[in-house]
Amino acid sequence: MEIKCIVVTPEKVVLEKSAEFVSLPLYDGDYGIASNHTPVIGRLGAGELRIKNGEKTDSYYVSGGFVEVLNNTVTLMTSRAIPTSQITKEIAEKAFADASARPASTLEEVELRNAALTDARAMKRIAEKA
Amino acid sequence: MAKTKTLNKRRQSIRSIRKITRTMELISTACYRGAMDRAMSAMAYTDRLTNMVRNLASSGAEVSHPLLVPHAETKTVQLLVLTSNRGLCGGYNGGILRRAVRRWNEMTGKVTDAAEQKVENALLDVAGKRGISYFNFRKVKPTETYTQFEDKPSWDEVEVIANRYLEEYLTGKIDRLEIVYTKFYSMSKQAVVHETLLPLTELGSDDDAKKSGTDNNFSAEYDFLPSAESILKEIVPASFKTKLFKCFLDAAVCEQIARMVAMKAATENADAMIQTLTMAVNRSRQSQITGELTELIGGVEALK
Repeated sequence: MEIKCIVVTPEKVVLEKSAEFVSLPLYDGDYGIASNHTPVIGRLGAGELRIKNGEKTDSYYVSGGFVEVLNNTVTLMTSRAIPTSQITKEIAEKAFADASARPASTLEEVELRNAALTDARAMKRIAEKA
Repeated sequence: MAKTKTLNKRRQSIRSIRKITRTMELISTACYRGAMDRAMSAMAYTDRLTNMVRNLASSGAEVSHPLLVPHAETKTVQLLVLTSNRGLCGGYNGGILRRAVRRWNEMTGKVTDAAEQKVENALLDVAGKRGISYFNFRKVKPTETYTQFEDKPSWDEVEVIANRYLEEYLTGKIDRLEIVYTKFYSMSKQAVVHETLLPLTELGSDDDAKKSGTDNNFSAEYDFLPSAESILKEIVPASFKTKLFKCFLDAAVCEQIARMVAMKAATENADAMIQTLTMAVNRSRQSQITGELTELIGGVEALK
């Protein structure tokens, strides 16, 4: 039994395809979904989304958002979904530098900075893997 | 002689104006399609988000979030006005600005019979060159102005603004966020609306909820990771951002529709004008020929 994987951003539906297995980054680590998974609503973190179909594996970088699993349909709602092939070391380094340069004088700012750093680190991991 | 020439000249200039308005109509039609597609694809996200909120609510999670709670005192009110960067779109900007100025006067206490009390601190943000120059003329200084939103507002750009408002609301710098823009109902109906975005009155838009509420009868037992409350905490800001984004998209779509209608009318008017002018030209030419003929015949008669 195949599962359907849909990724939507506020701007468009990024992809809609069937898969055997989907691995997605939750807020605290990767989460694997095969067919007939129990219904789940979860919070996404930053990281790599892998969609395995036969021999082929598509992979995307997603940062934040939500996932809903229901009736063998995996729906990801995220603000950004970029194919990992488009994430180079330079982009990741730049994101990291930008995040590090953010001010951290108040509690809110520290929180925002940490979130940006986590994003950048996830980007770096993906860039290094490629 | 001179009359025919001027008439011809006028006809020619109306013809070139017609060419311009016709082209603009075609361009805005194309832009409208693009903007509409974008708005439609944004709907996919909004609908899913609304769906998820409903699922969360039905699971019995307590919906409470600082963004949903109005501040005890409303002192600072932020007004955001969405206008277009370019003109030639009929009454589009006029309608928005009329509404915005009315609200602004209420806020600053310039009208005494206002329905609402004046607020202590009124702030104004304007998007679009038309609105900026209008408020400039009125000697009202906006705190922030945006001109980067053409017919394709991007999520990244809107998110920056949304984050700023969220932060200001949470830290108590603003107590309410209001927006004046043109809402898109259908191809034939758009209206200027004045809405309160913060505090959020409810998650997702109410008409969406009603629409999709009926076709969703199954009840699934969801697992929440990490918990329903924590997901709600994340979903509330996301819901605000999509709402603001939708406002921008709506405004872009409506601008193109307004321009399309205005340019269509302009082209039709030009057509009518060309017709009358052509008639006038022909008449004057004919009378000139008749005049010359009479002179000629008169001359021949005299020579006999």
